Amino acid sequence: MKVVYNWLKDFVGVTAPPQELASRLALSGTNIAGVENGAHGAVLDAEVGSNRPDCLGHYGIAREVGAIYKLPLKHVSPKPPESAAKASDAIKVEIQAPELCGRFTARVVRDVKIEPSPKWLKDRLEASGVASISNVVDISNYVMLELGHAIHAFDYDKVRDHKIVVRQSKPKEQIRTLDGVERQLDPGICMICDGDGSRAIGIGGIMGGAETEISFSTKNVLIECAWFEPVPIRRAARFLKLHTEASTRFGRGADLEMAELASRRCAELILELAGGELLAGVADVYPGKRAPKKIQLTRKELLRVMGADVPDKQIEASLTALGFASVRIDHNRGAEGSLLATWECTQPSWRGEVEREIDLIEEVARIYGLDKFPPRLPAARQGAARLPHHEAETRLRERLVGLGYREIVTTPHVAEERDALFRPAGVSPARLANPLSEEAGVLKSTGIVTMAAALEWNLNHGQRNARLFEIGRHYRLEGNQSIETSVLTIGGTGEAREKGLYDSGREFSFADLKGDLDAVGELAGGLCWSADSSRDGAHAAPTWLHAARRAQVSLDLAPTGGQDSFFDRQGGAAFLGEAGELARRVADRLKLRQAIFLAELGLDPLYAAIEALKNSRRYQPLPRFPAVERDFSLLLADGITFAQISESIRSLGIPEIGAIEAVDLFRGKNVPAGKYSLLIRVTFQSREATLMDAQVNHFAGKIISILEHRHGAQLRAS
Amino acid sequence: MPTDDLGLDKTFAALGVIEAAQVAARFEQVFAHFDAQLKTVHEESTWKQFRDAWLGRKSGVLTQVTDNWLKPATPELKRVVGQKLNELRAYVELHIEARRASIESGTEQAALARERVDLSLPGVIHPIGSRHLIRQVFQEAEDIFFSIGFSIVEGPEIETPYYNFEALNIPEFHPVRDDMDTFYIDLPKGAPTPLLLRTHTSPMQIRTMEKQEPPVRVIVPGKVYRRDNPDATHSFMFHQVEGLAVDTDITFCDFTGTIEYFVKQFFGPGVKTRFRPSYFPFTEPSVEFDVSCIFCGGSGAAASGGVCSKCKGAGWIELFGAGMVDPAVYGFVNYDAKKVSGFAFGMGIDRLAMLKYGIDDLQVFFQNDVRFLKQFP
Repeated sequence: MKVVYNWLKDFVGVTAPPQELASRLALSGTNIAGVENGAHGAVLDAEVGSNRPDCLGHYGIAREVGAIYKLPLKHVSPKPPESAAKASDAIKVEIQAPELCGRFTARVVRDVKIEPSPKWLKDRLEASGVASISNVVDISNYVMLELGHAIHAFDYDKVRDHKIVVRQSKPKEQIRTLDGVERQLDPGICMICDGDGSRAIGIGGIMGGAETEISFSTKNVLIECAWFEPVPIRRAARFLKLHTEASTRFGRGADLEMAELASRRCAELILELAGGELLAGVADVYPGKRAPKKIQLTRKELLRVMGADVPDKQIEASLTALGFASVRIDHNRGAEGSLLATWECTQPSWRGEVEREIDLIEEVARIYGLDKFPPRLPAARQGAARLPHHEAETRLRERLVGLGYREIVTTPHVAEERDALFRPAGVSPARLANPLSEEAGVLKSTGIVTMAAALEWNLNHGQRNARLFEIGRHYRLEGNQSIETSVLTIGGTGEAREKGLYDSGREFSFADLKGDLDAVGELAGGLCWSADSSRDGAHAAPTWLHAARRAQVSLDLAPTGGQDSFFDRQGGAAFLGEAGELARRVADRLKLRQAIFLAELGLDPLYAAIEALKNSRRYQPLPRFPAVERDFSLLLADGITFAQISESIRSLGIPEIGAIEAVDLFRGKNVPAGKYSLLIRVTFQSREATLMDAQVNHFAGKIISILEHRHGAQLRAS
Repeated sequence: MPTDDLGLDKTFAALGVIEAAQVAARFEQVFAHFDAQLKTVHEESTWKQFRDAWLGRKSGVLTQVTDNWLKPATPELKRVVGQKLNELRAYVELHIEARRASIESGTEQAALARERVDLSLPGVIHPIGSRHLIRQVFQEAEDIFFSIGFSIVEGPEIETPYYNFEALNIPEFHPVRDDMDTFYIDLPKGAPTPLLLRTHTSPMQIRTMEKQEPPVRVIVPGKVYRRDNPDATHSFMFHQVEGLAVDTDITFCDFTGTIEYFVKQFFGPGVKTRFRPSYFPFTEPSVEFDVSCIFCGGSGAAASGGVCSKCKGAGWIELFGAGMVDPAVYGFVNYDAKKVSGFAFGMGIDRLAMLKYGIDDLQVFFQNDVRFLKQFP
């Protein structure tokens, strides 16, 4: 709302310069976005809250100024001369829909001369950003900007039977509004009609109709100044996508009492600027009349809410200036500052939203000044708690950062086709009913979607080496329910080690991903890796991963015993997620030319395991006797895994066998096709004594024998 | 190193030395010879030969002098020969040792020059990751509030209209809903409740109070969504930290004190604050909270002259909305509005991060360009 500084002076004798006034208004609740000095003096750009329709007019702002500066408000009481003929004989008003229209006043001015407006009027409208049309139309706008109440002027002679009927809109009813648009209505909208009520001549509280509008040939003017229920107005404006000065004012709750006053002010100005004669009185149908509410304010409550006191005089002056007519009613009347002080206030018609004691407290506090309440810190009553998984998440994050991953934050809105690339079969995504664009039409059903997009962004911006992680959620629907699941998503591409002064470069590989995830998994007691575990098909291997380089990752629950009820437990392992290299087919669709590695793990089971393990870890005494290492260079058929070898060695049940490590692996050269060479290092250690060579040789013999027997392994000279 | 002409292999008698002055002259020759040789010794190998030639037990110069000059000397010369020999020994030992030290340190200098690391070269670089700046700011906010007794809770991003609006005193068709353009989830026909993406973290006020009795002190970090077209200052997803404190004795003074404490911790003690009355359906009194402009220090003037572009000359920057919990909200969670009071706030973390770190485009947070991520290790 544009507030013209000089216009304010019509109602309050403010002398503070516009900038200072702006600041004081802002600090008492009417925020001023800026002050402009134009051809017509200073104009303040007021951001009026939706709860303050009374401040959508200069008069209302002037009341605020009066309260702030303790200046009297010059009341508006127009007394236009009236003719002997009565308005009530000239116009009939019937409200058939009192649930929509609480009051309808009509005045009639005869024999006006429609002309361009005088300069002063044009200037004020221009300063307010309103275009000048003709004197009568301009006056209706002027009074709206002055008193905050929307007015509509009809060409009286075009109103059939000189009768107004206010009713609800009918199914499929249409009207052509002032702006020339033919509008289709929704049932339940307030219509202003004429004659027998069949023809609509305006949408109540939103916009008048084209057929009865004022033109330069208009002789007689019907001034409508009504009051409409706010909720139906907002509903109608939203349905019609028609937000007008009138709908804003009625939609926020206009002043019932102002309807008649604004009409009178309008008539006064018409007589002054367009001449003519005003019929006596007003046709006023007022089904919505209500008695003013009484609201009490007590000092006790003021202190309870605000924590510091306001002097009696200040309370009374503020409330009175704002129109609340406060009166002390407690037994200690006359005792200033009494803790028992109670004021009875009367709700003014323009402040419908002030109904409760708390509302009065806000009024008192904002005029007194919020800076006068001294800040302090409240006493803590209890220990504060972090998020349930705070520690586990912190340890996870610090580990990932240590491993070289950078955290990302993404917007979950993605394109349906992108999501579908990664979405597991049978999962329903959470689609948006009203997306901003197709590119953002669905919430990611897996974090992989946005991780792939983040890698894509970097590759497209010349950043070919990236290791990223996100701790976030994915979103799915199960029936009518939304399921948000916390997940860790990881992405790696480019060089795992950059070529530099001291090292050769190396591309990120599956082994990097596995090693990094295992480092994370160590916090939770270790991970189990399986290729295409078909366990009941509950977690079918994802097809967006490279068939030769993908894995399903589970928690190894053996060490902790786990928390069975919590985990998706199958065979001692809890499913966490998937990891691997992005399938070429998918990478090509995303135009990603280099190898991309991705993983997503569910965080709830991971956190639970981290927390369980943290409290169950126990110290293992350090061995007192030296360990002995033996290397075995094996020639194995392709397809025999390290795990098989390791399990066979363990199956010997030799307690002195400690670590079994794979130290080297190669194919080709002296290795025949279909075979590969694997160098195994076994550590032997006894808790009782230093191992003798003969013992170790004995163990080694058993190892060689079982590997030869079970796996057809050939021992190579190492 | 020839010493033949010094006559060391002969006795004084054989050399015809019979008086003290001749003895002194002979010794002078030896001194001179030593000095001359010393000048040529600059390396460890020649130094060793030099040392052996002079101090060697079997045939070193000093041994020869002792054996050939001192021992056979006549009694009248013996005293002066002994004295001169002592002088010579002290001189030789001193200089040979000094030369050794200087040769050794010289060798070290050369080695150091050769082996000196170039400190301007980088060390071995291990790739270290980083936390996202939004996460860092969340963490900072959480730590500050945790330190004054606020617990941290989280809640769903997909909400019902009840928690996002109605229970916060925002009925349908409330004008405030126009400012919070909302994404709705496409649900199967016949779904009992619509679902939406929360437009603020405030639904957790209700969920928290439903679950527990006062006293309540919580903050709620999380993502929120509004259907705004993305630009430098808008994103349809952004981040908030909600705060809620409800107790039997929480007042407006506690509210402003808490907020001030937070911003002074976050932006530094020099920042000025102010509370402007405002309007939200779920708080009353409601305020907008401003801080003195971080860029111009509240002067409103840019350092380069003219008006500060960040606060547009106002000297103040609007940070977030807050207020005392509206008693109507307590009605939705069965709290007794006559007995309890409290405050709530909802601050935009992205905005705090932009102000604190001078970021002028909200979108960089969500593009995740490694060059951006690297700037905040």
